[in-house]
Amino acid sequence: MDLTALREKAEADFKAVGFPSTKEELWRFTDVSRVANAEFSNDWKASDLEFQPLDKITVVFENGKLSREKSSIDDLPEGVCIGSILDLVDPRIGTLANAKNAFVSSNTAYFADGVFIDITEGTRLESAIHIVYLADVEGAAFHLRNFISAGADAEVSVIEEYIGKAGTQYWTNVVTEAFVGDRAFVDHYKIQRESAAAFHFQTLESHLGTASVFSNHAVTFGSALGRNDIRGKLNGEEGEAICNGLYLLKDNQVFDTHMFMDHAVPKCNSHQLYKGILDEKSRAVFCGRILVQKDAQQTDAIQNNGNLLLSRAAKVNTLPQLEIYADDVKCTHGATVGELDEAALYYLQTRGIDPEKGHAMLVFAFANEVLDEVKCKTAKAYIEQLVHAWLEKVQA
Amino acid sequence: MPLLEIKDLHASVADKPIIKGLNLTINPGEVHAVMGPNGAGKSTLSNVLAGNEAYVKTSGQVLLDGVDIDDLSAHERARAGMFLAFQYPVEIPGISNMYFLKAAVNAVRESQGKEQLDAMDFLDLVEEKKKIVKIRSDLLERAVNSGFSGGEKKRNEIFQMAMLEPRLGILDETDSGLDIDALRVVADGVNALRSEDRGFLVITHYQRLLDYIVPDFVHVLVDGQIVKSGDKNLALELETAGYASWVGE
Repeated sequence: MDLTALREKAEADFKAVGFPSTKEELWRFTDVSRVANAEFSNDWKASDLEFQPLDKITVVFENGKLSREKSSIDDLPEGVCIGSILDLVDPRIGTLANAKNAFVSSNTAYFADGVFIDITEGTRLESAIHIVYLADVEGAAFHLRNFISAGADAEVSVIEEYIGKAGTQYWTNVVTEAFVGDRAFVDHYKIQRESAAAFHFQTLESHLGTASVFSNHAVTFGSALGRNDIRGKLNGEEGEAICNGLYLLKDNQVFDTHMFMDHAVPKCNSHQLYKGILDEKSRAVFCGRILVQKDAQQTDAIQNNGNLLLSRAAKVNTLPQLEIYADDVKCTHGATVGELDEAALYYLQTRGIDPEKGHAMLVFAFANEVLDEVKCKTAKAYIEQLVHAWLEKVQA
Repeated sequence: MPLLEIKDLHASVADKPIIKGLNLTINPGEVHAVMGPNGAGKSTLSNVLAGNEAYVKTSGQVLLDGVDIDDLSAHERARAGMFLAFQYPVEIPGISNMYFLKAAVNAVRESQGKEQLDAMDFLDLVEEKKKIVKIRSDLLERAVNSGFSGGEKKRNEIFQMAMLEPRLGILDETDSGLDIDALRVVADGVNALRSEDRGFLVITHYQRLLDYIVPDFVHVLVDGQIVKSGDKNLALELETAGYASWVGE
């Protein structure tokens, strides 16, 4: 199907299915009526927001449109192609993200821009690709479509960062499709720092070739209402999917992670470590489903979701799920919801560390288990800095 | 002046009296062993001294270097020179041992009006202390006690003690769960830290630790009170006769 037909069909789908209600299983903990009932505009202006480029390659979207002026993509190494998804069309667009639901369908129908990244076979890109999405138009909807393709043996790190202006209400609706070639390594990060009044929805679909690695770290600080749908399919033997995440929530923030990992072939690994720190009246949902199909023998899958509640009013709904049809597999899952470990706090105190500092150390330690898994040094240092800043505010 | 003076100490856990009138004086340079059967109050004694809020002192007095520590919370007692080596050291995933030690050393130094150690000075101090208490470098890089064996955890306790240079080291059943090799390594570390102005309170159920850390005084703790005191030979007596003669009364 060509893109125009695809988009027309998606628009029809969106109009037919509408927004989900909490009666639907996949949405029972997250009420999206605030998005469904709002009116959004296509207003555009240049953004006043600032950002910190993390590496040599920066792709900047201001209020949903690529800014060539603010981006640094002119001098790319051989084998690396980065641009607007509107200029670079690949027939694979829409083949992974093809669900008929409000967010994917409306995105396919209405996406106005997004990044296209193509790393050709055997190319190893040293600089991370930092994609910055700046949002400061009140009442706007930003439908962004990203496409990442890494050829066989290619290596690339991609950092998506969403930055919103404090107090501004808008809707970011992003769909990212990632094709990871045989033996390729795609190290993907998403740092969500939307305005605390914003709505943010992302669907990430990945497709892993033989002996490839796809790693995703989703770090969430922002949005009043947010959701990540992270979906992967292990399609070649000895593939490895790492999907980790950290969500730091306060006030009345609601953040939902829905994960789906499909083991279609034997000898693949998937690891998921999700941690949340919740303050005040914030609420988190974690629903992780690992599907091991009947041919996917010798699957090694681990899923863990840990939550630290800093307030009695914070809430978590966590539902790790394993669905296994093969008989020779190693799969474990677990979930915890708890408060700070008093025994650890006492232990730190007996070493001279005062309770306030000890508290801060332990909260950071809780988050740090996820940061320890971050391979990209650029991403790690930056995320660490953001986590510290968040904790300082919460503990002030 | 005595290093530690415990006068007629009474303490409770969850409103249940456990320590019932305990007296003990430790002078600088001395190693005292407190031995006792299960339920005698050994862990209560170490925790009430260290300032664990779950253990409540109901009466009596505890002086460290002549200062009543009643109003000091656990971290202030640590800063005043008290160190508790835990029976069950706590695992803290997500904090590296080095980061933890640096925070601890600098917290204690700050309270003593000393300058904070920067990264380089801190590493020098670690290297110096590694000569006293043997500990593998990878244990220092790993998260605090996380996934450590029993022996590694205890060694880490003694290493922390070496780093913090306390006035008084309290070893709470440090020998529990250790094989003889690990016991020897831990004891060597403690012996290397013995000095004229530092005291130790070694709390144990079994005599065997005292083969390696030879005490100046041995006290028998039964039902929250010291029922007998003597020199190191008292420990040997206990090893043969057991606690039965006191417990059975």
